[in-house]
Amino acid sequence: METLIHLLSVFSQLSILGFGGGKGIIPQMHTDAVTTYRWVNSEQFTQFYTIGKLVPGPTTIFAALIGYAALPQRPLLGAAVATAAMFVPSSLIMIGFDSLEERFAASPWRAIVSRGLAPAIVGLVWSSVPTIARGAPSSVAAYVTSAVVVILMLRTKINAPLLILLCGAVGIALLR
Amino acid sequence: MPAEARPSLGSIALTFATIAATSFGGGQKASIRRQVLARGWIDSDRFLEGLEIAQVLPGPNLLNLAIYCGQKARGVPGALAAFAGVSIPPFAIVLVAGALYFKFASNPFVHGGLRGCAAGALGLTLGNALELTWDERKSWLSVALVAATALAVSLLHVPLLPVLAIFGGAGILSEWLRARKRSED
Repeated sequence: METLIHLLSVFSQLSILGFGGGKGIIPQMHTDAVTTYRWVNSEQFTQFYTIGKLVPGPTTIFAALIGYAALPQRPLLGAAVATAAMFVPSSLIMIGFDSLEERFAASPWRAIVSRGLAPAIVGLVWSSVPTIARGAPSSVAAYVTSAVVVILMLRTKINAPLLILLCGAVGIALLR
Repeated sequence: MPAEARPSLGSIALTFATIAATSFGGGQKASIRRQVLARGWIDSDRFLEGLEIAQVLPGPNLLNLAIYCGQKARGVPGALAAFAGVSIPPFAIVLVAGALYFKFASNPFVHGGLRGCAAGALGLTLGNALELTWDERKSWLSVALVAATALAVSLLHVPLLPVLAIFGGAGILSEWLRARKRSED
């Protein structure tokens, strides 16, 4: 019961702070799920994040996996609560905004807020790199794999899940 | 235009469920646009408006955009149908992935595969950071804010709320001053 309340509180706060599509919440999620509550370790956190990027839909759906691990005796309940907490609060804000939309129509504030928040979100994405690296394999082969992915991502149009799967094949060969 | 001006809640949920379940690595916005315009749920200007709002407010863009379109088509029930449509298929898929993970993660081949995938996801995150930083390159202040945020989070472990308040606030303030200056010119 206590875990459920913690899951609700952690993920609903992340939901409300999930500006920029939720790209910036990874470091805080790691602090909460790994350091504070120890629901998962760093390696699991990184692998769940990876699964989140691999499956269709929003990446932050991997909150479900953290909930699943947090409540081993009732994994489905943990997953459902974490997912609801991750998705419902921001959705309620979106639904509620409808009644304010006319007031903000063509308002310069929208562009000011989204452009103004962007640098902080980008900084948080940079901070996600060492956060994710903590649970990723640390070997020369792994770093080369990551570097090749950076180049392929920036230079080609190969989509993200396919790149991850290709790395999975490399991992089976080299990272056992 | 209105081919289906008042869609059933089921058809809203199903449309977005299909998009969410097949949205591998982006391109969802284009497919949402195509579907909702073709069905006449919303017009093109409204859609662009919705896209902007979906990106400004917190939450996944895909989910927010679907909610916006569902709500324009059928009010709050339409928004809830869109929410269910976008969330349920990925939730079901990730649960299957989770069950397989806990069953097989200790198998050396699966473990190696997962480690490889994790190296890939790390590369994607770094690539994303580089790409997004490149978008901010025109303003030194923005680049400085990017760096200051990253250092505050990674080295000083400042929590998310104060980070957004301080560095997000500073960014908003500077955009506001810039907009005001532009309107005075």
